[in-house]
Amino acid sequence: MNRKKVVITVLILGMLGAFLAYTMYNKPHVDVAETTADISITANTLLNEFSTDETTANVKYLDKIVAVKGDISAIKIEKAKGIITLKTNDDFGSILCHLSEASTQKISDLKEGQTITVKGICTGFLMDVVLVKSEIIN
Amino acid sequence: MKSILTLLCCFFCVAISHSQDRYLTKSGAINFYSKAPMEDITADNNQVLSIVDAATGKMAISILMKSFLFEKALMQEHFNENYVESDKYPKATFKGDILNFDDISETKTKKQVKGILTIHGVSNEITIDANFTKTDEAILVDGNFIIEIDQYNIKIPAVVAKNIAKKIKVSFDFNHKPYKK
Repeated sequence: MNRKKVVITVLILGMLGAFLAYTMYNKPHVDVAETTADISITANTLLNEFSTDETTANVKYLDKIVAVKGDISAIKIEKAKGIITLKTNDDFGSILCHLSEASTQKISDLKEGQTITVKGICTGFLMDVVLVKSEIIN
Repeated sequence: MKSILTLLCCFFCVAISHSQDRYLTKSGAINFYSKAPMEDITADNNQVLSIVDAATGKMAISILMKSFLFEKALMQEHFNENYVESDKYPKATFKGDILNFDDISETKTKKQVKGILTIHGVSNEITIDANFTKTDEAILVDGNFIIEIDQYNIKIPAVVAKNIAKKIKVSFDFNHKPYKK
């Protein structure tokens, strides 16, 4: 009788462990649309912070969900994915927002010059500050 | 006064012709593929910055490590935190020369690119094959090569040795447009 109990306990623990490992392994990506932004900022300020001190800005913004407000300077679709460029006062740099599939569908509603807010995950600074998996939130 | 004006004009012309030689993309694609006994892992980055100077045949590429997107969140987390340490080394770069660059044309030609690849803070000289196509409004570059991860001081723990390949296949596809500013 006692042995049976031990076997059952071990079995349950084993199943629980396997289940936990499986859910860990299949942990979903952050859902940008459903998560509130960690930081809200204007396109100008964001680019400014990166161009003056990239290391500090990296610590502050990398991997964070950032909501950026700015004027659209370019809209394009590459490989079925929408890319929106937000204008800044800087001559070279801008905010480059790569849209999610859902937001790419809404791209035809947008016009150049329009002011919008885009929420996305900040991955860093090359010539521009890059946001991926972005959503248009207006 | 006139001579200063002429001089300025000259500088201006040089600047213009110079800027026309630059071709650039901000949305280049890089994919890497690891084939191991336990699982195949692949990741895409579509935000690669690549610049080609059509006058000198020089090429410069900048890659944000955090821009590599994986199928599974856990893989992406391990990649960034444990393997490439992207908080410490947020970018990978390549700087090099396209060998025998002069004769690239509208027909796709294979060229060798020789330069320094820096990943995870470690720089190695590499020579890779790439296909070049040049038209009036674009320079297209694509190809693939193999990276040995221990050359870049990336350590894979024994527990997951069967999940991650020692040699990673990297594919790239860049569509450079003339850079005007």
